[in-house]
Amino acid sequence: MIAGVDVQADPPVLAATGLGRTYDGFIALSSFSLELGAGELVALVGPNGAGKTTFLTLAAGLLEPSSGSIAIAGAPAGSIPARRALSYLPDTPVFYEDLSLGEHLTYVAALHGVADAGARASELMERLGLGAWEDSLPSEFSHGMRQKASIAIALVRPFAVLLADEPFDGLDPPSRDVLFELLAEARKAGAAVVVSTHRPDVIAAASRCVGIRDGRLAYDGLPEADALAEFFEP
Amino acid sequence: MSSGQTAALGELRAARRRRFVERLDVMEVLYRVYLAAIFGGIALVVIAGWVEEAPATAAAVADMKEHGPAVLGLALALAVLVGLRSGSRGGPLAIEAAEVQYVLLAPIDRGAALRPAAWRQLRIAVLAGAVLGAVVGNFVFRRLPGSPVGWIVCLALFGALLPVCALAAALLGSGRRLRPLVASAIGAALVAWSLADLLLGATTSPATMAGELGTLPLQSGESHLVLAAAGLAIALALTGLGLRAAGRIALEAARRRAALTAELRFSASVQDLRTVVLLRRQLASERPRRRPWIRLGVASARHPVWRRGWQSFLRWPLGRLARVLAIAVAAGAATAGAWSGVTLLFVLPGALLMVAALDLVEPLAQEADHPTRRELLPVPVDTLMQRHLGPSFAAMATVLLVGVATALALGAPTTVAAVGAVTLVPTALVLACCAGLSATNDPYRYVLTPQLGYVQSAAPVVIAVVAAGGPVLAAREAARHGGSAVGAAIGIEVAMLLIGVAMAWWLGRRMAEQSAVAP
Repeated sequence: MIAGVDVQADPPVLAATGLGRTYDGFIALSSFSLELGAGELVALVGPNGAGKTTFLTLAAGLLEPSSGSIAIAGAPAGSIPARRALSYLPDTPVFYEDLSLGEHLTYVAALHGVADAGARASELMERLGLGAWEDSLPSEFSHGMRQKASIAIALVRPFAVLLADEPFDGLDPPSRDVLFELLAEARKAGAAVVVSTHRPDVIAAASRCVGIRDGRLAYDGLPEADALAEFFEP
Repeated sequence: MSSGQTAALGELRAARRRRFVERLDVMEVLYRVYLAAIFGGIALVVIAGWVEEAPATAAAVADMKEHGPAVLGLALALAVLVGLRSGSRGGPLAIEAAEVQYVLLAPIDRGAALRPAAWRQLRIAVLAGAVLGAVVGNFVFRRLPGSPVGWIVCLALFGALLPVCALAAALLGSGRRLRPLVASAIGAALVAWSLADLLLGATTSPATMAGELGTLPLQSGESHLVLAAAGLAIALALTGLGLRAAGRIALEAARRRAALTAELRFSASVQDLRTVVLLRRQLASERPRRRPWIRLGVASARHPVWRRGWQSFLRWPLGRLARVLAIAVAAGAATAGAWSGVTLLFVLPGALLMVAALDLVEPLAQEADHPTRRELLPVPVDTLMQRHLGPSFAAMATVLLVGVATALALGAPTTVAAVGAVTLVPTALVLACCAGLSATNDPYRYVLTPQLGYVQSAAPVVIAVVAAGGPVLAAREAARHGGSAVGAAIGIEVAMLLIGVAMAWWLGRRMAEQSAVAP
C-alpha cells in the first residue's frame, strides 16, 4: 500500500526499460531506461523538445512506445492497475465545459473508487484559493486558475505515482508555495512524484534530477547546479 | 469496474444530459424544425412532381436482377474500406479531451465507458441510412417491379446497413489498432472480391450477400432470401465485433481527434467550409507529399500562378488522388444511370464533383488563407485569384473526362460522349468557380442574418448540381423526344458558360473588396 493505493509490486513504482518513441521518423525518445522508488521527488529537466512530455505521456499510458516497455507499480502503463496507481497532471489543463469545479473533483474521485471525496476536495480547493469557485465552470477560469483546478483534480484521488508536466507554470507565488507543500505531502505519504520543469527552485527541492537531451537520458543524479547547467544553456 | 464507478459514470452522464436539455433554446430548435419542414416539404413536392420515372425495360430489369446485388455490395465494400481506413487513424469515435483525461485514464473498463458513445453513433447512422434508403425505395418502386412496401423496407434496411458497416469496420480497425496500410489492404481485398462478383455475376462476397437485401423485391427463389439473411448476419456480427473492440481504442489518436472534432463541429456550425476541409484533412492525417509525383522543370518568370497550382496538385497524397478519381468514376456511373432512366441520379454528379472541386481549388484557397502575403504582391487581387482558377479548371476538366469515360464504359451511348465534349469546358469552369466561392466565403459575414448565410453556403452547391446534371438531363429529354441531344446541351451550356464567367468575375471582385491594403 503506497499513498492509499494498493500496489501489487515491490518497488520500483515506475520502471522504464529501453523506452523509445518515434513520430513519423522523428526520434522523440530513444533507449530510455529509468527506475523510480516510492517517496522520490524527481525533477525532469531538459531543453524544449528534449522528450520530457513524451516520456510523461508514455508513462501515463496516453502514448504507446515504439520500443521498450514501461511499468507502473509492476503493471504495464495504461493497464487498469497502472491507471489506478498513477495520476497525470497535463501541461495544458482540460475540463468538461459543463461541469463545475466541485463536480469535476467528486466525479474524478468517484471514478477512482473514492466514495466520499468531499473533505479532501474542500481542503484542496481551500488551500489552492479556489474555495469560492466550487460551483463555477473551470473552462471559464483564467490561465492560472485553470492550472490550480487541474492540480486539485490530479490530487483529489489516491495515487502511488504523480506525473506533473510543468505544474508551476502560470501560478502566482502563494500558489507555488502551496503546490510545493502538496507535492511534499504526497512524497511523505510514499508516492513517487515526477515534475517536468525548467524552474531552479523546483529542481533544488527535488531529491533526484533526471535530464533528457535529444530523447536520451543524459543525467541521473542529485540536483547539482553545475552538473545541470548544460540543460539550460541556449 | 466496480458498481460505485459505474454509478459515478452513469450519474454524471445523466446529469450532463439534463443540463444540456435545460440549456437548449427551445424556440431556436422549433425555428430550425420549422425551416427544415418548410424547405424539406417544398423539395419533396418539387422532386415528386418533377421526377416521372418511366418503368424499366425488361432488359434493364434482368440486368438489375443479375448485377443489382453486386453493385450494392460493391458500395457496401467501399463503405467498409472507408470505415477501416478511418479506424486505422483512430475513428470513428470523437471523444472529449476531458473524457480522455479523466475517464479513459481512470481504472475502469474503457469498453464500458466508450460503448454508449459508439451506440449513439450507430443509432444515428441507422436512422439516417434507413430514412435515405426509404426515400430511394420510394422512387425505385415506380420503375421496377415489386411491391412498394417491399422496396421501401428492403432499401431502408440496406440503407441502414451501409453506414453501420462503415462505423463497425472503423470501430474494429481502431480497436484492433490496424495500421493504415493493413486496413487499406483488407478493405481493398473486400472491394476486389465484390468487384469480381459483379464481373462474374456471382454472389460469394459477404458484401454482395448483404447487397441481395437491397434487391429482394426483384428476386424470386429462396436462395436469394438465404443469401440476404447471411449478409445481414455477417453485418450484424461485424457490428458486434466493432462494439466489442471499442474499448481498445488508442488514446493518442483519441486525443488528437478530440481537439480536431471540437473545431470541426464549430466550423460546421458556422458553415465555414474551408476550415471543415482543412480539419477533415488533419483528421485523416492527409498531408502533402514531401516529394512531388513529378518535379516540374526549371521555373520561368512566365505564368507563376499556373505553375504554383500544378506544384500543389503534384504533391497530393495518394489518398486524395484516389478520392478524386473515385468521385470521377462515381459521377460517371451516376450519369450513366441517370441517362438510362433513373432521373433522380442527376443530382449526384454535381454534388460529388463539388467535393472533388473543393480539393482542386486548394491553390486558390491557400492564397485566400494568407491575405497579407496576397496583398503585398504586385498583382491586383482580383486578377491573382482569377488566375488561380486556371489550374483548378484544367484539373477539373480532366476529372470530368474520367467521368465521361466511366459513363461510356458502363454502357452509356456515344451521345453521352458528344454531350460530355460539349459540356466539359463550361461545367469545369462553373464547378471550379463554385468551389472557389465556397472556399473563400466569409462565414461570419451574415452572422446576424443566418438565413443569408445559409444561402451563401448552399448557392454554390445548388449551382454545381445544376451545372453537372442539368445539361445531361436536357440532352436526355431531347433525345427521348426525337430532338438533338447535343443541341439541347449546348443551349444550357451557353448559359452555364456565362454563369461561370460571372462567378469568376464575382470571386475576384469579392476578394478585392476584402483587401486590407488599399489598391
